[in-house]
Amino acid sequence: MILQPGDELPDLIKHPTTRQLVQYAGAQGDFYEIHYDQEYARGVGLPGVILHGLLKAAFLGQLVTDWLGERGTLKSFEVSYRGVDVPGRPYRCRGRVTSVTGGHAELEIWGEDPDGNRTTVGTAVVEITA
Amino acid sequence: MSTTPSVVDRLRARIGTPGPPSTVMVEAGHLKRFTEAIGDSYPRWLTEAPPTYLVALAPVSAHLPEAEEYGKGWLNGGNRFEYLEPVKVGDTITAIGRVVDVYEKSGSSGSLLFIIFETEYFNGHGRTVARLRGTAIRR
Repeated sequence: MILQPGDELPDLIKHPTTRQLVQYAGAQGDFYEIHYDQEYARGVGLPGVILHGLLKAAFLGQLVTDWLGERGTLKSFEVSYRGVDVPGRPYRCRGRVTSVTGGHAELEIWGEDPDGNRTTVGTAVVEITA
Repeated sequence: MSTTPSVVDRLRARIGTPGPPSTVMVEAGHLKRFTEAIGDSYPRWLTEAPPTYLVALAPVSAHLPEAEEYGKGWLNGGNRFEYLEPVKVGDTITAIGRVVDVYEKSGSSGSLLFIIFETEYFNGHGRTVARLRGTAIRR
C-alpha cells in the first residue's frame, strides 16, 4: 500500500442509540449511570445520557482497522475526549495520513458531531506490511 | 479551590504502587458481545481482540473510592493504547494497573482532579501484549 501525507481515510458514520449504550455498558462492564440513567445524568450537569468515551475510541479504532484491513497492523492510538456526545445523533469518524516513515504511517483521527464539533481527537500509528 | 485537599494527598500516596493483578481468559462469547456492542463486524474480531477490547477484560483503572469524595462526577479525559502482540480467543491475560500521576487544575467551572493511570497487559507467557494509559477526571 502506497501512502502519502494527506491521504484521507473513508469516513465511518456511527448511529449510537440508548440501546447501544446499554449494550456497551454490559460488554465493557462500565455501569456508571451517566450512560443509561437520564435523571442521574442531568443531575450531574450533563444534557442527558452520554456516549462512553471508550465507545467513541472503539469507533475510531474501527475507522483505522476498517481502512487498514489485512494490509498492516495498528501499533498504537490515542484519543482525547473534548466534548460530550448524546445518543440519537450520528457520529462521524474521520482520519488522514499525516506522515509516512519507512513502513510506518502516522494518522490524525477525530470524531465529529453533526454540527462539525470535533468532540474526540487523536492520533494513530500503523505498520504497513502489504 | 478544593475544599478537600486531603483527597489529592491520599491519591498521590498511591502513585507508582501496582494494584492487584486481574487475570481473565479471552472468551469467544464475550468478544462477540463486545464487537456487537461497538457495532464492528470485521471478521477477524471473531477470534482476535479489536483495538479497545482490553478495557472490557479488566477494570480500566484501580478502584479509587477516595477520589469520589472530590467533585460530583467522573469524566474520561483520554486514552492511549499501545499494542505489542495480538490478543486472541483462548489467551489468558493478566492486567496490572497503577496510578502514575494525580494533580488538580482550576477551570472556568471550578476545580478538576486529574488521575493518570497505566495498565499493562501480559499474556500467559509473561510477555507484555499491550499498554493502556488513561486520564480519569473528577469534576
